[in-house]
Order: sequence, then structure tokens, then C-alpha cells
Amino acid sequence: MRRLAALAAAAWVAAAGAADFKPWDGGATPPLELQDLQGQVRRLGDFRGKVVLVHFWATWCGPCREELPSIEKLRAGMAGRAFEVLAVDVDEPGSRVRGFLEEMPLALPTLLDTGAHAARAWGVRIVPASYLVGTDGRIRYVHQGMLDWDEPAARARIDELLR
Amino acid sequence: MDRRKFLVSTGTAAAASALPWRGAPAADVWTTYQVTTHVDVADPRGLTQAWIPLPLSIDTPWFKNIGSSWSGNALRAEIAADGKYGLTMVHAAWRGGEAKPAIEVTSRFMTREAVTDLSRPADSAERLSAADRAFYTAPTELIPTDGIVRDTAHEVTKGAKTDVEKARAIYEWVVENTYRDPKTRGCGWGDIKSMLEAKNYGGKCGDLNTMFVGLARAAGIPARDVYGVRVAPSKYGYKSLGAGSPDISKAQHCRAMFFAEGYGWVPVDPADVRKVMLEEPPGHLAIDNPKVAAARKRLFGSWEMNWLAYNMGHDVALPGSRGPRLPYLMYVNAESGGERRDQLDPASVKYKIVSQGALD
Repeated sequence: MRRLAALAAAAWVAAAGAADFKPWDGGATPPLELQDLQGQVRRLGDFRGKVVLVHFWATWCGPCREELPSIEKLRAGMAGRAFEVLAVDVDEPGSRVRGFLEEMPLALPTLLDTGAHAARAWGVRIVPASYLVGTDGRIRYVHQGMLDWDEPAARARIDELLR
Repeated sequence: MDRRKFLVSTGTAAAASALPWRGAPAADVWTTYQVTTHVDVADPRGLTQAWIPLPLSIDTPWFKNIGSSWSGNALRAEIAADGKYGLTMVHAAWRGGEAKPAIEVTSRFMTREAVTDLSRPADSAERLSAADRAFYTAPTELIPTDGIVRDTAHEVTKGAKTDVEKARAIYEWVVENTYRDPKTRGCGWGDIKSMLEAKNYGGKCGDLNTMFVGLARAAGIPARDVYGVRVAPSKYGYKSLGAGSPDISKAQHCRAMFFAEGYGWVPVDPADVRKVMLEEPPGHLAIDNPKVAAARKRLFGSWEMNWLAYNMGHDVALPGSRGPRLPYLMYVNAESGGERRDQLDPASVKYKIVSQGALD
């Protein structure tokens, strides 16, 4: 585990390493079909052929706020490769999410899981929660809790799925 | 959030003089709450672990778990589940050298009033499989269903024909024969066999509502305890039945349900009737006091959902621990150096649970 740089002297948030990714053993990949902040419906199936990081988060979640910039950086670093991120906000009004993104501008495709139906279907009980979906559309790895996406091991997991 | 803001946010600042439980419960309005539990394990000695209960993991007509997050300096933190009851918790572990093991868990959830219309059965009511019926009438380590528990259940339910009638008889028996003992540590562990043998019917919710559950199971009625914590004041004018401030570290409360064909799972809370009698100002109210009578009537068939439900588990084994099983998981637990801390002693496991009140 690598301790994240503290944002303030009293900060003590810790992140797990990529070694904490667990192989998915939860069966078939649940459907994911949600509206983004622009009202456009996005489907996981539309990204077949790409590795997709499906990331569940919420504006009220401190570790999520810590982790999102590193996911943004990850996505930027993977530009041009068959990789995408779907950042799924769990059960918050779009206005709240838009307000949050005005304070923390992110280019991540952000979907609204109104009613938390997707989160339930995906077995999310803790946010943040990250699911790595292979190019065949099947979930390969899951991590519940915060991750440090700057770790080489985290990118290695994605590279492994891209091979 | 200070106490005044907390009361205003929950719409109860002006409710202190409200008449008790007027009108029908509003079952269709969902309210969102956020609760944060901060844990410090004091005086760590070697490998340290902590277990923090999470909100109910199944959706019910009265509770939806939105999600939780954690942060802290744990070497590892993960969700652990009890396969038998679906109970979930955060299990955190720290290295031996960690001087100040700490973790904070934040949870969001939605509640609405839990209400069962007992005036007539409904075709749409939830059904119970034979396996679930067997599960919810089975004994636990502290809830035997034979011997004095069975004999008492038969005596109490004599003459009652339906499950609702039997459950009602048990409810009234608990209300009339038990009492809230303020000296009980925590909420009581629910050793109902000992209570019945000693004819000592004093305790708190963990004893009195478990008495209801044990007697119901012994009478063949599926029943379950539901463990949780109060997160907001009562909007029905009961000071004793709500959280009076954002600090809800000592507001743990367990409730009970029974199952009846045509009605589904029915919420009850006889322990809260006794709490009203003891604690509702000016205190020591008579059983025929109008405020007690109103609570007694309402708490057979409904719960005010100013309350976070954790789980329905019994005989809980903490993962990664060699210590004894817990009768239930409603408090933060911790171990250090292989020694289980006293979960009811704030000096050994320091934790603070804070409710932000209603968010909507």
C-alpha cells in the first residue's frame, strides 16, 4: 500500500495498491445503460473491443474526491489506446454532480445512476468501487475502495487486459 | 453540524409540543441520511483489527442502502459479509507498528416509514419460502425455542388463533411484563432464557425486543431482530424515541419484526413502549398515560424510520478473529494483539458516530 500525499497536515487517507484488485467471480456482467450528464444514453456494450474502467463514485465520498483526479490522469495517459472510463455517480441529482464538476473539472464520461439500480446490480456497497471490464465485455477485476492509479501495477492490470 | 441545525434539518425543532402520533404514518416519502463513524483503536499492541457495521445490504420497503465509503490508515480494509444473515461490515486491519490506528466510514441511505396495514390481508404481501420460514423460527445461541421459552410462548399465546393474534399477544405480554432497566450495559445481549428463568424481565432493546423474537419463534411465528442506530429526532413529539443531537454514538437501537401470511414482515417495537414509559419527560409515565398508549398502539405494525438499520444477524463471527462470536453486531468492535476489546467501553475503542440528519 502506498500512502497518498496528504492534502493537509491532518489528512490520513490511504489508498490500496493494484495488487488488491480481485479477479471477478460474480458471474455474468450486469447490464449498464445510463444517461450521461448531457442526457445521452450510454451502454457498456457500446464499448466492446475496449477495456473499460467502470468506476462508481459519489460527490459526498471523500476518498472518491481524492481518487478521481488520478483516474482523469490515467485516462489522459491512455489516450489513443483501446481504453475508456465510465464514471458512474451513485444516486445523486444531476444538478449536484454538475455543481461538483464545476469545482473539480473532469473530462471523464459521467453517468447518473439514479436510484442506484446499476450499483446494486453490480454489487457495489462501498464507493469508490472500480471494475475493469475486458475487451469482450466481461468484468475481469474488481476493487472496492480507493486505488492509486498512478501505481505502475494498476496500469499493468489494464495492459494485461489490452493484450 | 450543531444540535440546533440538526433539529431544524430534521424538521423537529418545533415538534416537542406536538401531540403524540397524530394522523397516519406517511409511508411514501423517502428521506436521505448520511452517517459517519470515526474509529480510533486506543493503545494498540501488535496487529490491530476493527469491524464496523454497514447499513442493511438488502432493499426493503422502508430502507435503501445508497452506499458507503471509508478512509483511514489501515493496511487493509474490505467489506466482509456473514453468509448466513447477509450482514455486512468493514473489516480493517493495521500493522503492529501503527501508533494510531484509525478509520472513518461514511454511509448514505434512504428510509421511509415502515407501516403494515393489519386491517386486512393483501394478495400482494411478501411471501416466505419454507426454507426462510424454517430459518426465522430456528433458535440461536441466546434465543432457544424450547424449554421455558417454548412454555412461556404457549402460555402467552393461549387462545390466539392466527399468527397476527399470537404476535399481538406476545407484544402485549412484553409491554406489560418487561421493563427498561437503565443500568443494563449497552442495549443488553438478549439472554432471554436466563431472563425467563430468573423472572427478571428488565433490560433494554437487545433484551426486550429479543424476548419478542424468541417467544414468537417458539410459537412458530417467523421473527427477527433488526439492529441499528437512531439518526434523527422523532417527528411525532417523542423525545425518547429519537436522536437529540448529531452525535449518535450512544443511540444504538434494535427492533423486531414478525412474519404473517397476507401481511408480510410486520414491524414492532415493544421495547420502545417501555422506553417511552421510563424516559419520556417528565419520566416514569404510567402504562395508561396517553403518550404511552399512543406509542403502544403505533409500535405494533409500524416504525418511525429515523433510524439506520444495520443488519438482522445473530451469533456473528468476526472475520480474521479467533475471539468469541457476538450475539449481534450493532457496535464497533476491535482487537489488538489478539485481545478483543470491550465493545461497550469507550476507553478501549474510541468511536464517534455523527448523523448529518435528513439531507433532503
